[in-house]
Amino acid sequence: METGLRRLSVIAAAYLAAQVAGPASAQQDTTVLDDIVSPGLERREIREADIDSENFEVTAFLGGIMNVEDFGSNAVYGGALAYHISEDFFMEAGYGQTELGESSFERLSGAAPLLTDEERELSYYNLSLAWNLFPGEYFAFDDWALNGGFYLVGGIGNTSFADEDHFTYNIGAGIRVLPTDWLSLRLDVRDHIFEHELFGEAQVTNNLSAQLGLSVYF
Amino acid sequence: MDSPLYHPDFLARRLLLALVCTLLPAIGHASGAPTAPPADAEQVFVESPYVNIYTGPGRGYPIFHVAEHGEPLWLLKRRTDWVKVATRKNIRGWTRIADLAEIRDAGGEPVRIPLPDYSDYRSQRFNLGFTYGDFEGANAMGVSLGYRFTANLSGELRATQAVGEFSDSQTYQVAVLHQPFPQWRVSPYFMLGTGINITSPNATIVATEDRQDTAMLTGFGLRTHLSRQFALRAEVANHYLLTSRESNQEIYEWKLGFDVFL
Repeated sequence: METGLRRLSVIAAAYLAAQVAGPASAQQDTTVLDDIVSPGLERREIREADIDSENFEVTAFLGGIMNVEDFGSNAVYGGALAYHISEDFFMEAGYGQTELGESSFERLSGAAPLLTDEERELSYYNLSLAWNLFPGEYFAFDDWALNGGFYLVGGIGNTSFADEDHFTYNIGAGIRVLPTDWLSLRLDVRDHIFEHELFGEAQVTNNLSAQLGLSVYF
Repeated sequence: MDSPLYHPDFLARRLLLALVCTLLPAIGHASGAPTAPPADAEQVFVESPYVNIYTGPGRGYPIFHVAEHGEPLWLLKRRTDWVKVATRKNIRGWTRIADLAEIRDAGGEPVRIPLPDYSDYRSQRFNLGFTYGDFEGANAMGVSLGYRFTANLSGELRATQAVGEFSDSQTYQVAVLHQPFPQWRVSPYFMLGTGINITSPNATIVATEDRQDTAMLTGFGLRTHLSRQFALRAEVANHYLLTSRESNQEIYEWKLGFDVFL
């Protein structure tokens, strides 16, 4: 017991001594060493450039049309926010809304409408990844060379109408023309693919939309 | 008589051109007006033999100018891996950040243009996550906002929307994540949390009511650095719903996604 305690106190004392002596002796070493092996070099300081990045792009649809299978085509309103990961890829969150028309069943049978006006309001949101392909210049007449490119896009999202949510895949393509560095005009075509059971049995529908957008980079 | 100036084709084209001119405020690179370079932009000097200047921020755009060794450049802005620069004569174009590896400032000090990398992934406090997965047979999409308290411990706000054949659900949760080995290339984490699950059964004929239950969340996941400030993330979580019915309900959720470190 007593030897144990003594050993403990010796260890503690040795540890304390090492703590006190340690840095001091180390400091002495460096001053001695400095005279012998001092590198006659000045360390290069590298400064980071103070520069603003412009990787986000916000898009407003100037005009668009969306066809919902069996329910006709109507104007689509919406927008998107994109983040440019590299010159090849960007990701984009999009939102849009449109209205459903009358289905051919409703028109031909003359029966009571399938959906109320409120249920005919369709909205969708999605998150997509796009791949910039074929970047280059587009030429308009002799004097104009506009930067632009083509992209392929695909993603997942949700479409909601008739009080139901529908998990939606989207694929599409678009072209982008940039009159200036921070402004672009985009024509984008998407297929929104989802399954619904409005007509009794489940059916997978392809719903095409085309929209012209104006985007600003920031 | 048939002078090309008065040819109807030519006139129509001029008219269209004028229209385009009024519609498009300015054409980026085409205007190399010899005015002064911007005063607020950072000035650097080229140390490498030369730097190519492109008309746009991408490999597909043509090189239309070259900055020589020792020439000053003004750094205007950055987009992805490209920097917009202005020369002494205010010719503006884009250069690759990789080509600007050797630049210095007026004092001769080397300058580096920062790009997000692994160190940002390790040091940034906030992250935004997007996931896609399976919520007991339903397709689920999720978003999360994480905050790192220490290297090991982080908190997360999570929201998921699941769309299934028989019911749709929304979940909102608060969770604590523990990452025991943050330095590992593929780093595991454990998760504990709580929240609410809102379930709405799909029924086109019968009117149904939404159920809202408190949920206990436990989970395990793996995270690995992908590139820049992106990380790939895979996770399995158990939602234990404390229902008001006879028995509680257990839901397993599998998901794959990525985190962006802000």
